[in-house]
Amino acid sequence: MVIAVLRFPGTNNENDILRALSLIDGANPILVPSRKGLAGLKDADGIVIPGGFSYGDYLRAGAVASVESITEGVRDLAEDGKPVIGICNGFQILSEMGLLPGALLSNESARFVCKWIYLRVSDNATMFTERMEGSLIRLPIAHAEGNYYCSDDEFDSLKDEFRIPFRYCNEAGEVDDSANPNGSIDNIAGIINQKGNVLGLMPHPERASRAVLGSSDGLVILENFVRATKC
Amino acid sequence: MDLIHEGKAKRVLQDPDSPERVIIEFTDTVTAGDGDKKEDFTGKGTIACEMSKYLFKYLEGKGIDTHFVKKAEENQLLCKKAEIIPIEVVCRNIAAGSFCRRYGIEKGIELTQPLIEFFVKDDKLHDPLITTGAIIRLGLAEREDLDFMRSVALSVNYYLEELFKQRNLILVDFKLEFGRTEKGHIVLADEISPDIMRIWDSKATSLDKDIFREDKGDLVATYTQVFEEMKKAKPDEVEPRTESIQVVVETKSGIKNPPGEVAKKALSRLGFADVEEVRMGKVFKIVLRKPITSEILAQLSIMNVKLLSNPISEKHKVRLE
Ligand SMILES: Nc1ncnc2c1ncn2[C@@H]1O[C@H](COP(=O)(O)OP(=O)(O)OP(=O)(O)O)[C@@H](O)[C@H]1O
Ligand SMILES: [Mg+2]
Repeated sequence: MVIAVLRFPGTNNENDILRALSLIDGANPILVPSRKGLAGLKDADGIVIPGGFSYGDYLRAGAVASVESITEGVRDLAEDGKPVIGICNGFQILSEMGLLPGALLSNESARFVCKWIYLRVSDNATMFTERMEGSLIRLPIAHAEGNYYCSDDEFDSLKDEFRIPFRYCNEAGEVDDSANPNGSIDNIAGIINQKGNVLGLMPHPERASRAVLGSSDGLVILENFVRATKC
Repeated sequence: MDLIHEGKAKRVLQDPDSPERVIIEFTDTVTAGDGDKKEDFTGKGTIACEMSKYLFKYLEGKGIDTHFVKKAEENQLLCKKAEIIPIEVVCRNIAAGSFCRRYGIEKGIELTQPLIEFFVKDDKLHDPLITTGAIIRLGLAEREDLDFMRSVALSVNYYLEELFKQRNLILVDFKLEFGRTEKGHIVLADEISPDIMRIWDSKATSLDKDIFREDKGDLVATYTQVFEEMKKAKPDEVEPRTESIQVVVETKSGIKNPPGEVAKKALSRLGFADVEEVRMGKVFKIVLRKPITSEILAQLSIMNVKLLSNPISEKHKVRLE
């Protein structure tokens, strides 16, 4: 299955994603520079928008990339029900596009945070969390704007519709303030859209895709994603 | 045709073909001093009408939104119907008229920069000068409208001044009226003729209504002469002017602003203990190739919502410079 890994000017995690995907059976990841526009996505069965600093994070993280013409193709694929993952800056781009609700604000500490964190995976089944429902996983984060914010109404629907698959927690799996690395509402680390085929998350699954990297917890997320491209 | 308004120098008629248009008829009457002095000059209406048409077309060509649609009868203009904002906008380059009386200064002093003044459009009150604060509190207009009118008046000043300069005509001052069209756009309305502006030749001789105010000569001949001069100027040779707009983007109140908090802490480390709060936002300076219009302001709102600010977490303000 052809997986388009997007690269905007300033994206810098595309190689990590390509390598992690290449470990997964049936995945045929290709690098798609954003300047290719819509044509770059014509064979894609799924899309990954990797992390980095698209357009130098000028204006707001993800804002400039979100209005590039290739994002129309991302929208089309998402509408078709194909899986789309935005990781870190990719999440910021998806929320700036409006494909995911809310916004990613400056970390409450006003600092760039780069560390390993724990995530509580929700009990509810999603396309991206099969075989890991309710589990505790460990992934790295590296961002300055990961402080997830949305309106109260939006937050209510995220909760009611079980659209919060990943929340920051401590080593014991407790979701509390002390485990919140950036100030995000309800320790949100990742959310999905209403249809369930678009995931945005701040932590980096690709950087935890082999034991040698310190954890392989992230591989499952990518495997689930690849499986979904075949549906 | 239904008469909508009978003024001192013009009549406003309803265009029978469209409820959104009016026909403005220029009469031969000239008044001064709130109508105390009044006289008819055959041909004055026609020449004021012709010149208004000429200058509205010129300003439209430079991107200014006006009410002008086309010429009708010889002393009539077909215009977009507008709800006139009851504020007269005066722009001055050189001291003359009421400005001199008010501040006790000599006529002819050049102002360092063009000055915009607002007057209440109310004959009974004798059109008094009014501050922006009073206009807003009296509900005569909104601050945004005043900024808009100020910006357009300065553009009009630039384009008229540059055009006249080519023929050694000096634009001393003028009065504009603005109105809101059915579409909600604010446009330059009323007229642009020597009835509403002072024009001098290089020897500071009046070529406008001051001739009548001061009984200094043949009004219609002077209006005709100044119009003939104007028509010799080359509109294409007037360079376009840019306009700057500031967009200020701030985090909505109620949402934390970590960069501001860090700045506040740093200020208190420097000993500025009285700083209660700091919030950091962004300022964009947008330079436009054209004068400000309602259309451009609408586009700016779209720019804001689509890109410059994130409506989920931020609010924006547009300021005309
Ligand atoms: N596009 C327009 N639509 C409707 N009314 C207009 C338009 N343009 C100008 N007017 C109004 O038409 C009238 C023109 O008449 P005139 O200038 O003779 O009035 P006036 O005696 O000077 O009184 P005023 O103080 O109201 O201007 C003015 O009241 C002016 O505000
Ligand atoms: Mg008038």
